[in-house]
Amino acid sequence: MNIFVQILFNSLETGGILALATMGIILIFRTSKAFNYAQGVISMFCAFIAAWFMSETGFNVFVSTLAGVVGAVSVGILIDRVVIKRTIKLHSVSKQIVTLGLVIVFLGLAPMFFGNIPLTYGRFAQGTQTIMDATITNSALVNIFIGVALMAALFFIIQKTKWGLAVRATASNDTVARMMGIPTSIVTMGAWAVAAALGSLAAMMVAPTTTVNFMMMDSIQITALLACVLGGLGTFFGPVFAAYLIALARNLISFYISSVWADAIVYLSILGILLINPNGIFGKKLVKKV
Amino acid sequence: MRKLLDRYKRSRPYSDYLVFGILLACAPLLVELGVLRFFQLTLIAGVIVYAIVTLGLNLLMGYGGLFSLGTAAFMGLGAYFTAFFTGNLSWGFLPSIIVTVAITAILGMVVGLLASRVEGFFLAMATLAVAEILRQVFIEWTWFTNSFVGARADFPTFFSFTMNRNQTFVLLVVFLVIAMFVTHSIANSYTGRALSAMRGSEAAAAAMGINIFKYRIVAFSISTAYAGLGGALLMHFIRFTEPNAWIFTLSLMLFAAVVIGGVRSVSGSVLGAFVVFGVPPLILQNLPVIGDVNGLAFIFTGVLIIIVAMYYPAGLVYVWHDLKKLVYKARAKWGRKV
Repeated sequence: MNIFVQILFNSLETGGILALATMGIILIFRTSKAFNYAQGVISMFCAFIAAWFMSETGFNVFVSTLAGVVGAVSVGILIDRVVIKRTIKLHSVSKQIVTLGLVIVFLGLAPMFFGNIPLTYGRFAQGTQTIMDATITNSALVNIFIGVALMAALFFIIQKTKWGLAVRATASNDTVARMMGIPTSIVTMGAWAVAAALGSLAAMMVAPTTTVNFMMMDSIQITALLACVLGGLGTFFGPVFAAYLIALARNLISFYISSVWADAIVYLSILGILLINPNGIFGKKLVKKV
Repeated sequence: MRKLLDRYKRSRPYSDYLVFGILLACAPLLVELGVLRFFQLTLIAGVIVYAIVTLGLNLLMGYGGLFSLGTAAFMGLGAYFTAFFTGNLSWGFLPSIIVTVAITAILGMVVGLLASRVEGFFLAMATLAVAEILRQVFIEWTWFTNSFVGARADFPTFFSFTMNRNQTFVLLVVFLVIAMFVTHSIANSYTGRALSAMRGSEAAAAAMGINIFKYRIVAFSISTAYAGLGGALLMHFIRFTEPNAWIFTLSLMLFAAVVIGGVRSVSGSVLGAFVVFGVPPLILQNLPVIGDVNGLAFIFTGVLIIIVAMYYPAGLVYVWHDLKKLVYKARAKWGRKV
């Protein structure tokens, strides 16, 4: 029993991290109509900002995280204003090529600012707890809480507030939304800022378990993209659910079947599900005009 | 002489590719004369191999409109297969290359089957997943890949004759020219036209009687065969490989090469490969001051890809064409005034 509880808590933690990254990608996909392949490297860059801030000024983790998030928001706004705003009229394929270009740019910017040596980053909390015979670190509990709380807050904002309505309107049809007086350009900018902030939080949760390096977000980025596709791109809820599902499946497989091949098995099953249902679990069938 | 020139003009662009190849094959001579340095020859060899892979990716992306972000993994597969065949099984160079290309082509068909259901950038994601699985295979199957210790191979051997570095370089050039010939031929054959129709509109193409399912699989298998060939050739030139050589970044760079050079253009692919893989190490790093900045190559490529995607979607290969047009325009205007 305690092993299963342990796995459940681990999945909630990794799932939360994954959900943050996934939410960033789906926010941008719905508002800008493009997959943001650069989400991972932007988060990596912001984690570098936070880690650099911590080592330079000696502030504690929370202040550094705040610095990282502020950095992420400004990076997001900067990207939107400098690049994405000029691509509104482009085909969505060109937009995604632009985000692939951003990936390469950030892979170059990171060593330019922070050097080639990986940095370290602290945990949010120390010590462990025992819940139902399962040992859990306090930092994992904090991560779980941040993940669930942020998701709940975001869904509340999207579903219940006026800004959420603006986001949903932009997502469903940005031309009509603009005609109705919704400032779609500010909505898109906000989506990029929030997405960068979510991604950087995810990166800062990952950082203590590895180091802050250039490849830290690669596998999370790939899994998050797959979570978006698996959950279906028509809703905000689907991808987040898929993120938690993937984390749970991955942990179960790595415990009961094979820890080495867990990723491969998960990817293969996602591909299998996509073969049966190309629109994802919660996806609506896209109707194509000819 | 005049007959020769006529013949040259009639068989363009094949003759252009041939002349390009002959000029490129002189690079080892320049090394012997001391004009080029040794490591620069290795870099150029890399560019040649990446150009071959980019040609295949261009058939898939440019003509077929299908996206793949798993090219690097298929290159790696080619490299490991040829290392395994020539090393462990001690086959010759030619049978090894042929079997390697055949295997990667068949694997491409499997990915193509996937492509028959999943579309657009979903497909890119699916290929990404396949690439990650392959990379896990490279790391874990030690008997096949030797994992992080790395696999080794020799310069190509034909029967009992082993080539040296310069001869291998010429061999790479020969393969590049053949790849350019084949790509141009495919692009202008029924297959190429079918792929183009498919890219434009699948519904319309299907209505014209093009078997979408078949051509998606064909496109994938051609592109992975090129990638496998490229990986195998690189393996025989560099003679060493390890799993970290075939990461997502390389796939991304190959993708960038197609976009920057110019989609649906044979010379564009070669130009793109040169700009992405050749310009940063050969030219940028030798410049004063900015040459020492960390990560400059990445920023150069990244900014270039963004600018090209935003303002010059046809690719850099058309710069020459557009410049010519500008000159003609200016001349016409000027002429009228006078």
